[in-house]
Amino acid sequence: MKWNSIRTKVLVALAACLLVGVCGILTLMHYSFERNSQVMAAESVTGAQKLFAILEAREISKMTAVSELLIVNPPIRDAFAAKDRSRLLELTAPLYPKLKSEGITNWMFHTPEPDMTVFLRLHNPPKFGDRLNRFMDKEAARTHAIVVGNELARAGFAVRILRPFYDSHGAVTGYVEFGEELGQFIHAMKSQTGDEYGLLLSKKFVDRQFWADSNAVWKRRDNWNDNPSFVVADKTTATDSIIQFQGDLAAVPSQGKVLERFRDGSFVFVRGIFPIRDAAGNIVGAMFVVRDISGFYLAMRHTQTVLVLLTVGALGLGTFLVLSLLNRLVFRRLERIIVVATRVVGGDYESEIQVTSNDEVGRFEQLFEQFRLVFVELR
Amino acid sequence: MGQLYDLRVKIEEKIKHSGLDAAEVRGKIGLRSGRLIAFISPTTPDDPAAVAKLKQAAKDVLNISL
Repeated sequence: MKWNSIRTKVLVALAACLLVGVCGILTLMHYSFERNSQVMAAESVTGAQKLFAILEAREISKMTAVSELLIVNPPIRDAFAAKDRSRLLELTAPLYPKLKSEGITNWMFHTPEPDMTVFLRLHNPPKFGDRLNRFMDKEAARTHAIVVGNELARAGFAVRILRPFYDSHGAVTGYVEFGEELGQFIHAMKSQTGDEYGLLLSKKFVDRQFWADSNAVWKRRDNWNDNPSFVVADKTTATDSIIQFQGDLAAVPSQGKVLERFRDGSFVFVRGIFPIRDAAGNIVGAMFVVRDISGFYLAMRHTQTVLVLLTVGALGLGTFLVLSLLNRLVFRRLERIIVVATRVVGGDYESEIQVTSNDEVGRFEQLFEQFRLVFVELR
Repeated sequence: MGQLYDLRVKIEEKIKHSGLDAAEVRGKIGLRSGRLIAFISPTTPDDPAAVAKLKQAAKDVLNISL
């Protein structure tokens, strides 16, 4: 290959175009994938946040409706007003299994302020008389209105409602409380979206001993030391490996945050996180969202391969056509001129140049032939 | 004076005995040396650069050292 020939230079230029084209496509596809995976991660966070809010509102509405029924039930109202625990248990215990099957795992009656102790725990009747002293208790006592929100308590992290109970004269006789474990939500969310979820609790709000005890009761591995600032309270996957978060839960923005993309074997995931606040507005935990984008990734790779092959094919064909055309229209005719010119310079003055066309090369052939004739005349 | 012409004569001799296409070989040497061999006469003034170029062209085309 002669590096100073026009043919080589054209070939190199076309090869450079091919390379630039392929690199451009790869860059474009990479950018597109990065952008789309970012959008998908953001959508999964936003979607999960909305779904969580919907589930939360639905369950609050359900618990509120149940509490409405209770406060207008005269036997229950009177038993509670009379602080007749056994009668109250007798009246309400048959309802508890049904409510539990609907997700309401916590059901309590509280005495009125100032003591505000637990009068009856339907989910644990032998245990009563303790004072919980939570934010929601104080708010209910202060406002004598229904208080709703998430509360991290010894029994777990639950969405709760607490409302006052009145006797037949309208005096507050105590409070009734219902609660649903937030951990239940993530399984409902997974069944709706297919994404994986993890419920994280900030260690600042969880008692170490309680965590160890509850893990022992539920025969779960004590995962307290897995992460420096939070514990995984519940998750939809069998493994904690896809739940990776190094930051501080309290610093997660309200609208959520998209985390990095990662691979696990042949699978590609994106993940994000959004905060969960308690009734007092503190960020006590977070929901970790993991979306499998392997299908999207494979489709992107397939498109990328097809595009690269098409580009290589199209540019290869283009290169062949351009070179063939240049060969036919320019190079071969120039070579003929060079051969004749060499012979004329060498003394064969009879070598003629055949003018093959009236294009640029043809005009040059014509001019060269005229020079040759002048040269022969002058000789 | 005459060195260029001597070279021309030696080249012509070599071409004659080589059996190659004379016009083509002379043309190639002319293109490489930048000087038409046919125009070199006994009176052509010597120029060391021209002599060197002609020798090199003869070596490249005919593979001879002059």
